[in-house]
Amino acid sequence: MTHTTQKWSLGFVAAFAAVALSACNSSTPAPTDGGTTPSGGGTTKGGTTTSARPAPTKAPFTVKEGEVIRIGLVASRQGELRPWGEDSSNGAALAMAELAADTADGDPNKLIIEGHEIQLVVQDSNSDPVQGKNAAEQLVNQGVIGLIGEVASGITATISDVAFSNSLPLVAVGATRTDLSAKGSHFFRVCYTDALQGPVMAKFAYEDLGLRKMAMFTDKAQPYSTGLSESFSAKFKELGGEIVDEQFYQTKDTQFAGPIANTKAKNPDGIFLSGYFNEVGPLARQIREAGMTTQPLLGGDGWDSDQLLTSGGDAIVGGYFCNHYNSLEDRPEVKTFLDAWKKKYNANPGTTMGALGYDSTKLMVDAVKRAIMEAKAANKPVDSLMVINALENTENFPGVSGAITLKGRNGDPAKRALVVEVTKEGQKFAKAFEADAVMAK
Amino acid sequence: MMSGLPLWADLSFSVLPQQLVNGLLLGAIYALIALGYTMVYGVLRLINFAHGEVYMLGGYVALFISWQFGFTQDALMQNSTREGSLLLLGLMLIASMLICGFIGLLIEFLAYRPMRSQPRIAALITAIGVSLLLQYAGALFLPNSPPPSISEKVNPYRGEWRITLSQPSGESVAALAAAKATLDQRTREFDEQIKQERSKFDLSPAGVAIRDEKNRADQEFNKAQTVVNAQRSEIVLPRGQVVMFITSILLMLGLNLLVNFTKMGRAMRAASHDFDTASLMGINVNKVVTLTFFIGSALAGAGAMMNTTFLGTPMTTFSGVQPGVKAFVAAVLGGIGSIPGAVLGGLLMGMAETLVVWLGYGSYRDAVAFVILILVLLFRPGGIMGSAAVEKV
Repeated sequence: MTHTTQKWSLGFVAAFAAVALSACNSSTPAPTDGGTTPSGGGTTKGGTTTSARPAPTKAPFTVKEGEVIRIGLVASRQGELRPWGEDSSNGAALAMAELAADTADGDPNKLIIEGHEIQLVVQDSNSDPVQGKNAAEQLVNQGVIGLIGEVASGITATISDVAFSNSLPLVAVGATRTDLSAKGSHFFRVCYTDALQGPVMAKFAYEDLGLRKMAMFTDKAQPYSTGLSESFSAKFKELGGEIVDEQFYQTKDTQFAGPIANTKAKNPDGIFLSGYFNEVGPLARQIREAGMTTQPLLGGDGWDSDQLLTSGGDAIVGGYFCNHYNSLEDRPEVKTFLDAWKKKYNANPGTTMGALGYDSTKLMVDAVKRAIMEAKAANKPVDSLMVINALENTENFPGVSGAITLKGRNGDPAKRALVVEVTKEGQKFAKAFEADAVMAK
Repeated sequence: MMSGLPLWADLSFSVLPQQLVNGLLLGAIYALIALGYTMVYGVLRLINFAHGEVYMLGGYVALFISWQFGFTQDALMQNSTREGSLLLLGLMLIASMLICGFIGLLIEFLAYRPMRSQPRIAALITAIGVSLLLQYAGALFLPNSPPPSISEKVNPYRGEWRITLSQPSGESVAALAAAKATLDQRTREFDEQIKQERSKFDLSPAGVAIRDEKNRADQEFNKAQTVVNAQRSEIVLPRGQVVMFITSILLMLGLNLLVNFTKMGRAMRAASHDFDTASLMGINVNKVVTLTFFIGSALAGAGAMMNTTFLGTPMTTFSGVQPGVKAFVAAVLGGIGSIPGAVLGGLLMGMAETLVVWLGYGSYRDAVAFVILILVLLFRPGGIMGSAAVEKV
């Protein structure tokens, strides 16, 4: 072999390495992504509402009288999102079991509503948008009247396409990316959107913590993080605060000393870390080690994992982040839910996706029930468009994560957002924010 | 810096000394991992793509040992007061190094040795195969969801050392002290008030007034602090990172001794110079290759143990990919096959990345590493310290 060929093979290998590195950064799925699309208004006709969003056009999926009605769940039971995916499918299973036990049909393992047996069918998305799409298509082939899923916005987007083209409703579990609901009138979610949690933290930082100069650390590889930093800084500036510095890193980075030294020179009052707990933990540790010991640390629901306490250590204790619900809340729905979960799974749900999976399943079954009633009244077989209509007209559905109203809201419920404090014992409730109060100028 | 390009006037030169130190600390770890690539390449002309996975396994070894000694997630939740010691750190380091060394040796024996007489590209593909095998098979057996990390309590060297380069003026220090006194007073008042309130964030009008007073004092304090900070130039050295740096340097010096001043080292250099002739001259080349893999992998294990322990990096079976690629680039940059080259390449990469961040182009950090690599390869195809001699085969 000559010298020249060696040079070329080295160049080739380096190029391969470059591709491998960029691939490993972009392939990380985003449980929740950013985006700032304002939602338009719906039109109200008499008692019921139809959405202003584009309606699916294909003939709906119809179930004849007395036949089994299947609901499909797409969950990330394998892959990087497993902690969230497992919780969401466990939550759904718990909801189904409770509903089955509640109906007085003699069989505690079967859910029967008005002569229809309701079944939950689950497919694994492997934490991947393409496989999520395949899973949704498989569920469509199995004959489902509606879909539930996913915990991540990227996967939810592909499932949403499948549901739309088959005229099926979709209830998203933890997809907070704002623009998802604009896709069509079939899309609903039980979580808040990123357009809310950024402003919630901004309001909390400015008004409750009295911070005026904030610095931000943004994970450039995660649309969730960039979107959250944007909505946070917009609201914080609107309130009168100043963003003195923004530093960027990438998912899987481990050393942050460089960006931290830059931030330290700007001497902020507090620091907003909009990424996921995997990087936020070490980042918090290194911020404290670099001598910024007093600035409060804040973040979004990407912090939601017990692992934050080991990777972040003492540094993360006392930090605040925005979450969907809190296990220490004393609302009766929360207590009942946690007791039932502990009884069935012998542990506490590790993430909030347990509660959201539970809520989305109960909401879907409730909508199916209302659709069956409507079909009965009109003497027609029940179909998937009736379920879409029933979901659209949901008002004050009592969820574990708070009341859910979808009527006239284009699929985005006006959810409460909670600010919780990280303590050694877990997440401690700090303050609740109502969506409308936060978004008001 | 929020949008567009930063202004030069934006640069904070008081941060520069700190950033240079940061670059050095970062580079030392790159160098440590890069050594494994370069040593294997030097002897076998093989790019060991599984090196990053050996690194990943080293992190897990350290994690399991810390769990054995009671530093688990559960213990942490129960407010365990257990503290690590130098002895435990040493044990974790040695165990990671030994186990990684044996894994590297095993990989060589099972995967690369049968391919040695085959075309070089076959061995390269085998290396990629081993890398993928370890990532995905590891994911079946090793805890990775959610990614576990080592408790910071393992490290007894927490906190930081400070080196002051220039002192702030007495005036601004006095102003800061005055602001601090007011803030302390207001904080005490607020803390008193909280005891009568339902919660810290659900205050009566009186409580809100007191809180706002406290916040105002806080902002005054912050302003004074900013003035002091601008005048003071200091370097903050996290103690854990200093331990990391010293250990890395000691390991590299040890390697240098081994390669340059022992008989085995001479054999390694001979095999690196000309593998076939070395074997004809009576050098047991298989032994040399085994030792090379053992040492290279042990250094990766040391790097992994230190990164996961001192920085709190969460682990998945894929967490070796990025450090592996970075270190590989460092090795190529320095001149793959050259041991001082790998060290230089690692330090250069760490320094370049940190300076790019300092300039405000943090989001282009990885791109810059590759641009440097391309430039170096264009002008010096063998890398900075690589041999430009024609390779005889």
